Amino acid sequence: MAKFFNSLRDGVGFDLILVGAAMLFLLALAGLPLVYNVLMSFQQVDMFTLGQLIRPFAGFTNYAAVVAQPEFWLVTRNTLIFVVGSMTGQFVLGFALALFFAQKFPGAATIRGLFLVSWVMPGLVVGAIWSWILAGDFGVLNSVLRGLGIIQSNIFWKSDPSFSIWAVIIANIWLGLAFNMLLLSVGLAAIPRDLYEAAELDGANAWQRFWTITLPMMRSTIGAVLSLGLIGTLQQFDLFPALTEGGPANTSNVAGYWSWQLSFQLYDFAKGATVSVMMFVLVLFASILYVRSTRHEVRG
Amino acid sequence: MKLSTFGLAAGIALGALLAAGPAMAQVTLKIWSIDGVDRPGIADTFSKEFDEQNEDIVVEYRGIPFDDLVNETLRAFATGNAPDIVSFDNPDFAMFSSRGAMLDITDRIANSQVIKAENYFPGPLNSVTWDGKYFGIPKYTDTIGVFYNKDLFAKAGITEPPKTWEQVAEYAEKLTDPANNVYGVTFSARAGEEGTFQFLPLIQMSGGDYSNVNTEGAVAALELWKKIIDNGWASKDVLSLGQWDSTGTFNSGNAAMAISGPWEVDRMVEDAKFDWGVALLPTLTDGGTRSSALGGFDWGIMSTTKHPDEAFRALEYFASQDNRIFEEFGSIPPRSDIPLPETGIALKDAALKVFQEQLQYAQPRGPHPEWQKISKAIYDAMQKALTGQMPAKDALDEAQATIKGIVG
Repeated sequence: MAKFFNSLRDGVGFDLILVGAAMLFLLALAGLPLVYNVLMSFQQVDMFTLGQLIRPFAGFTNYAAVVAQPEFWLVTRNTLIFVVGSMTGQFVLGFALALFFAQKFPGAATIRGLFLVSWVMPGLVVGAIWSWILAGDFGVLNSVLRGLGIIQSNIFWKSDPSFSIWAVIIANIWLGLAFNMLLLSVGLAAIPRDLYEAAELDGANAWQRFWTITLPMMRSTIGAVLSLGLIGTLQQFDLFPALTEGGPANTSNVAGYWSWQLSFQLYDFAKGATVSVMMFVLVLFASILYVRSTRHEVRG
Repeated sequence: MKLSTFGLAAGIALGALLAAGPAMAQVTLKIWSIDGVDRPGIADTFSKEFDEQNEDIVVEYRGIPFDDLVNETLRAFATGNAPDIVSFDNPDFAMFSSRGAMLDITDRIANSQVIKAENYFPGPLNSVTWDGKYFGIPKYTDTIGVFYNKDLFAKAGITEPPKTWEQVAEYAEKLTDPANNVYGVTFSARAGEEGTFQFLPLIQMSGGDYSNVNTEGAVAALELWKKIIDNGWASKDVLSLGQWDSTGTFNSGNAAMAISGPWEVDRMVEDAKFDWGVALLPTLTDGGTRSSALGGFDWGIMSTTKHPDEAFRALEYFASQDNRIFEEFGSIPPRSDIPLPETGIALKDAALKVFQEQLQYAQPRGPHPEWQKISKAIYDAMQKALTGQMPAKDALDEAQATIKGIVG
């Protein structure tokens, strides 16, 4: 018995307590809601049985019903466009800016800091601002594009089915740009300078240095930025109610907003839960890919 | 000695407290609504007055933001902590009354000296009715009509506001002036309740209703709306603009007509630098069936209340103050027996007269317990047709199939 308590104080038991506490915390705050959510997607949930755990079992009928919704494939397609579009934009522009501000010139650090303004702004505020910028008749973006001679007539970003999803993507890229740039800047700063000096002495040009030193050394940072980007993009909610409400006719609706809409606007909690479980499976798949790709990473 | 004096005093105090207890047997009423969250409104003001006037009743009023009210009440009801009285937006009411969450007050209304069913406009009254019984009383109401810019009308040589939707399109064409950034008409066809709010009346005018949306008249009306947008007589952004923003373009002179409701009047009096008027919502054919959307809130007692008598007394008090809600809160009373007082602002008084007349034709959305799903089917179909993704007929047929699955 004494041995047991000793082990709790300074042995293996102590480690187990630490791990156990963390696991308990995870289980209670992340695990239980998740299980509840999965459970709910297999039950017949009613607005008035929301507080109960035991409800009639529904099998896969909720899943079948979600797939049978006329907007299901449209929402799936939009979600893919939204995720790929937002992540590409945020990453490419973020990386370009990070490389730019990694150059030594006066005020580089200060200006880079100013970019964070976009990141600290709440999504709803960003949505309201972009809502004005993207307005069809009197929007700033249209008048700029017209001034540059790129377009002849106004684009109705929020109301035209072929542009509505891009309206949200543009706003989301702007919102996530600073975060990407910041993480990538940190990764850039961690690469030892002498590598570049040695390469330069060997006659490598800028493009070769980027391709053979920067990119490989940034591998883990890029992996982290992309996986965080995926999660952040799937989580994005505020911009949708502020810009398009998923319209017109669901052409800018994505899984995350749809799930909220089903649960809290249409009070169809079972379908809302079902959509979020589907999203969860997607993220799980993406995280497995990410973990596998970084497993054999060599750290410099 | 000292100790015993203290003991005596304590004893007397305790005795007094016990004796006073039963005499002041107070009933606590919990009242929830959206008023009082940002500025004083009907529910919080009247609740406080009712509390002060009744010694035997304590009112605990709670203001909840609009977007959270239904969710919060659902949760409270599911866990047994529901309020005694709650006030909902009228399309949300049926969801609660149809599921036995609201108290049936039909008999109480029949015996009441204050609340009389026949005093109410039929539309608002219908929204608290389920299965032929009354589950609440209307709190205030509103509806929509056409605002028109008289100056622009005169310039285009048009003397009368439009009577039919065909005329709306015809006038809109004449009034559209791209050189001056003027659209002929503006309305709200957004992906939300406001979209249904503005389009459902056209379905109703065609002889349909929420469970019968693919009527010939509705298809024709939707095609007409599409024509108005396609020809640039209305901005394409009506698909994403709410009524408040849409009417904002009317106020700034960028639209010659606007479909909206009395909540716009105060701002319009301030902002609009031109002569304007309000007309009844146009019909599909000349002299055809009238309809318009019904907005506004309802009062109801939740079925879990332990004090139905006191709660009904509160409702009676609220109803007895209906004649104050226009002057003090700018809302239209849901009753035909209360004349609206003159405000002295000619444009406003004229506008409100039209809206009061329009209220006779206002029809509720639903009532149906799954209203939100029906509403989504309607505004999705409307938007599919307006953006040209589907012909109007097919879009409304699809909505009809969805709604049939919900209504049964």
